[in-house]
Amino acid sequence: MKSNKYDIQDTEIRVIGESSSSSKRKWGWMILAAVLVIGVIAGIIAFSCAISQEEEGIFERSVRQAIPHPLRGWIHSLDSITDIYVVTKDTTVNDIPMRLYVPLNMTPRLEVGYKCIDDTTHNMLLFQAADVRADNKKIVGAFVLRGKPLSWGLSKKGYCGIIGDQVTIGVADNSPLFEQATEVGGYFFRQYPLVSNGVLVENELKSQSTRRGLCELEGKVVVVETFTPESLHDFSQALVDIGTTNAIYLVGSSAIGWHRTLDGVGVASGQWEPRVFKNVSFIVWSR
Amino acid sequence: MNTHLIISTSNELLRVAAAHIIYISSDGNYSNLLMSGGEIRMVTFQLGQLEEMINKQLPDMRSMFIRIGRSLIININHIYHINVARQQLLLKDRDNTYTLSASKEALKSLKEFIEKKYEIK
Repeated sequence: MKSNKYDIQDTEIRVIGESSSSSKRKWGWMILAAVLVIGVIAGIIAFSCAISQEEEGIFERSVRQAIPHPLRGWIHSLDSITDIYVVTKDTTVNDIPMRLYVPLNMTPRLEVGYKCIDDTTHNMLLFQAADVRADNKKIVGAFVLRGKPLSWGLSKKGYCGIIGDQVTIGVADNSPLFEQATEVGGYFFRQYPLVSNGVLVENELKSQSTRRGLCELEGKVVVVETFTPESLHDFSQALVDIGTTNAIYLVGSSAIGWHRTLDGVGVASGQWEPRVFKNVSFIVWSR
Repeated sequence: MNTHLIISTSNELLRVAAAHIIYISSDGNYSNLLMSGGEIRMVTFQLGQLEEMINKQLPDMRSMFIRIGRSLIININHIYHINVARQQLLLKDRDNTYTLSASKEALKSLKEFIEKKYEIK
């Protein structure tokens, strides 16, 4: 998709009509070779450590524009909808093809275990929520399920609290929503922060994979999913560019996702089998 | 010499004097043309497709356009100010100044290109 003669990186310029960019090609090749060597070494180290599924790499800065993205304001066109359904919107932001899922007029919750994903009668939208540790298979970071704390810890600063029908997304070391969730039978989980108060949050994950984010977009909760492997930086920048106020990561790559279309058809994504992690968690919106 | 860029779809045709294009920015699957005077036109083509149109339709004028990264094409005749450290690029027409942002690497290359083109250094 991106491999044609008009491909260009955000760090490059090109006079139209000329085949090469104006950057110094010799230095470019040397840097590329150096980056490849560093990338291979970093990959070997990351693999041998087996601490994370992600590995070190490089990332590029994105071009930011002075004009607003056309998606800004779009979500308010959904304000008058009173029916229960998931609005999907396919778009491209900074050359990243992505889909927005907007759950309307439904109840959010968290679930642990695979059992919930088979309830295609009531479920409308679901995605994997918190990460599972590779070593002990426990949930990463603080997690509250229907008021019951299942996990503690602050390995990730992004959080999502669900109190009643209200979903709150934010970035903080401590959030009163954890305590509140335990008091009122709510839900809470932690993930990588992507956007905080409209500002991109840098993360150490530099590899590319299918990305998913739980976002607060102009007052509505939206799940955003890329169709192509992207770095977390580029994904976060795209979320900023469409006007996201706060956003945290959802499990990406081959993680399970599902939504019901307006026609009532269930559309699944990710790898549904084998179901090996008993502590797998989902954020679910149901009717 | 063809001096106008023609962007044609099944229903519309847009004919724009190349010299009046300040910049073109990527907007998802679409692109926005900003013309002198501040008029913005959204067209249903991706930036790469517009680059190809410029390349083919404006053989004598295409070198005035520079692609910057994945999101911008600018007209170098409208460059007013480049600030690499602040990642800021200002373009200007008679009445307006337009603020854009790009990577430091791209702006540094652009600055060097302009210096070389006009033999400043």
